[in-house]
Amino acid sequence: MVKRSSLNGVTPGGHQPRFPGFDVLSQTHMWDPITAGVVLARLGPHDAVRFFTPSEQAIARALLDQLLDQREDPKVPVLEMLDSRLVEESTDGWRYEDLPEDGQAWKQSIGALDKDALDKHPTGFALLAWEQQADIIQAVQDLQSDKWHGMTASRVWSLWTRYACTAYYSHPWAWNEIGFPGPAYPRGYKNATIGGREPFEVADHHQVDPLKQT
Amino acid sequence: MGVLDLFRDGSADGVRDRNASAWLLPLGQDRVNHGLRADARRYDDTDELDAVIVGCGAGGATMLQRLARAGWRVAALDAGPFWDPDRDWVSDEAGSHGLYWTEPRVIAGENPVPLGSNNSGRGVGGSMVHYAGYTPRFHPSDFSTYTNDGVGADWPISYDDLRSYYGLIEGELPVAGQDWPWGDPHRYPHSPHPVGGNGEVFQRGAFALGITAKVGPVAIANGRFGHRPHCIYRGFCLQGCKVNAKASPLITHVPDALAHGAEVRPDSMVTHIEVDGRTRRATGVHYIRDGIEHFQKAAHVVVAGYSIETPRLLLNSASNAFPNGLCNDYDQVGRYLMVQGAPQTGGRFDDEVRMYKAPPPEVSTEDFYETDPSKPYKRGFSIQTVSPLPITWAEHVAGQGHWGHDLRVYMRDYVHWSCLGALCELLPQPENRVTLAEEKDRRGLPVAKFSYTMCDNDKQLIQAARGVMEEILKAAGATEVMTFQRYAHLVGGARMAADERHGVLDADCRSFAVRNLLITDGSVFPTQGSANPALTIMANAARVADRLTTTTSPT
Repeated sequence: MVKRSSLNGVTPGGHQPRFPGFDVLSQTHMWDPITAGVVLARLGPHDAVRFFTPSEQAIARALLDQLLDQREDPKVPVLEMLDSRLVEESTDGWRYEDLPEDGQAWKQSIGALDKDALDKHPTGFALLAWEQQADIIQAVQDLQSDKWHGMTASRVWSLWTRYACTAYYSHPWAWNEIGFPGPAYPRGYKNATIGGREPFEVADHHQVDPLKQT
Repeated sequence: MGVLDLFRDGSADGVRDRNASAWLLPLGQDRVNHGLRADARRYDDTDELDAVIVGCGAGGATMLQRLARAGWRVAALDAGPFWDPDRDWVSDEAGSHGLYWTEPRVIAGENPVPLGSNNSGRGVGGSMVHYAGYTPRFHPSDFSTYTNDGVGADWPISYDDLRSYYGLIEGELPVAGQDWPWGDPHRYPHSPHPVGGNGEVFQRGAFALGITAKVGPVAIANGRFGHRPHCIYRGFCLQGCKVNAKASPLITHVPDALAHGAEVRPDSMVTHIEVDGRTRRATGVHYIRDGIEHFQKAAHVVVAGYSIETPRLLLNSASNAFPNGLCNDYDQVGRYLMVQGAPQTGGRFDDEVRMYKAPPPEVSTEDFYETDPSKPYKRGFSIQTVSPLPITWAEHVAGQGHWGHDLRVYMRDYVHWSCLGALCELLPQPENRVTLAEEKDRRGLPVAKFSYTMCDNDKQLIQAARGVMEEILKAAGATEVMTFQRYAHLVGGARMAADERHGVLDADCRSFAVRNLLITDGSVFPTQGSANPALTIMANAARVADRLTTTTSPT
């Protein structure tokens, strides 16, 4: 018997419009212990922020909230996960010739974001209203491969979204949101056909073609 | 062996007699034969080995097993760990970061190629620990693209030189798939796997368009093979197979090598190949293990560090006799490095596809592999199912420019998407190469810088592949498609050639400059075809081992 608690079925922002009742953590007893240790650690306490300075932390958190549209609690602790990776220099194993290594590129790029904010507004990026932050970020994306504060904008964009998505979509709350069951060893799958579902998977209850909603 | 045993062990061609790896793994729920590892031979640095191998992936481990079987005293040094799938690997995407080579590297050129997770392995088993498992053969035409089409290069060997080795390795992995109609038509030792939702989509779309699609070829045993259990279709092939169902040299060649007296020395980073300046022969390798510098003596040095680290090691092994880098008198080291253009196209279906629920490698087509005279470009591409897990899928979605609310909406729709990937034969070019960067790693060694720029033929191929994938998905009923540009697989960088002005190695993969220095990884390829390279790397290494052991005797 698996005990249910307030930890079960959590989704970022607390909404679950598409896979009601789906709960990745209801299956932890089916996971191998090594995998369970790695995945469940993401739900536990995180190290204090060490890589970013307090002002960098505020800018980075605002940027990550924007990139992942995290407006309400509970939030996946993406800033803390990013900070740990950068402290540990757990990079993807490459950097562009015209960008510094990832940690420095993060510091440089969020500094540039703050400069853009101060050029247009009386406060820095972290204290701007949601829509004002979004406009500044959109302007960086719109530059594509043009230069932004001496950096190739598209490469900065790729750095931001790569780290942000890796953190967010590694979290069981995000899997609850998208209907993905997470670890599958030693259990495997038995119904891998179009429309096939395992007993623990939940059907999409509010199908929305993203083309019609974005 | 009796008839019953043939059925029991899953092989019908006597694999066990030439490679008993699958029978040297434990039965039951453990994935490692700890006794075999603990009892394996240990050589001293001062023992002169018949051969020391640098890198224990597809090319290195195959050499290790073949040379050990031939009675050679041989050790493979690998920079990474001697993996234990039970303890070291997880059924999780982000948690598998340690499988990749993530030491610093610099990428440059007009179309820089990201490294790490997508194409660079770490530890015993190499990149095959995290490859999808596709093991197609090259086509006969791949070995003479210059003669046939005026592009690329001719190999100093032909398909016929590899044919029998393809058959041997396909038995040892073993490979499962339908009868293969393309290239040199052939069959596979194991029957095709059942397909999941993504494979169904591909088959449906291809059928509607009259494109031939086949299940396989996948190096995942279909049924029990030796002591390896059946695949459980859990979809985490790219995160290391915790089941021991998907083939990698860690389970297909290393166990048999150990049983025949070979040593695997993990956590040992080779920094420099030593060459006697007077005789111009390699005498061994310098390596660092746990911070201590060692020198392993050997009569032959076999390098199999793959297309970035192999050229880097040669360039970092400069000496008075080779001031521009070892074997680099003609400025060939690191050049003609190739990647495949690997766009991936997603298609949205009203039905739930749940593509994560089966091995990503399922179905492929090679209908577009050969040069089509009616097209403006030369050579071609293959198309295969790929089934990205959420983090990789999020990269695809973000690659379309979606962020914030749009990104989340697309990601919540994950279960409705199917995904195909192409492998486009991008051409070898001299300026696509590895050089040494100013930057140093934590050992003080210059890191590799990889410059890459596509030519017009490359861009046309990628565009054409994208068009076909989008058509297939639409023909299968997709309501929306999106294509993400990326690259896959590394080969070249120390290629075979007819002479030392055009490459680093002769047809036996011995270097022109240092005759007892061989290279047996993917960097030896002059062209890459549209095939995933693992099988051809292993088949070529098996061929090279045969050539070496028939022309040279162990000490």
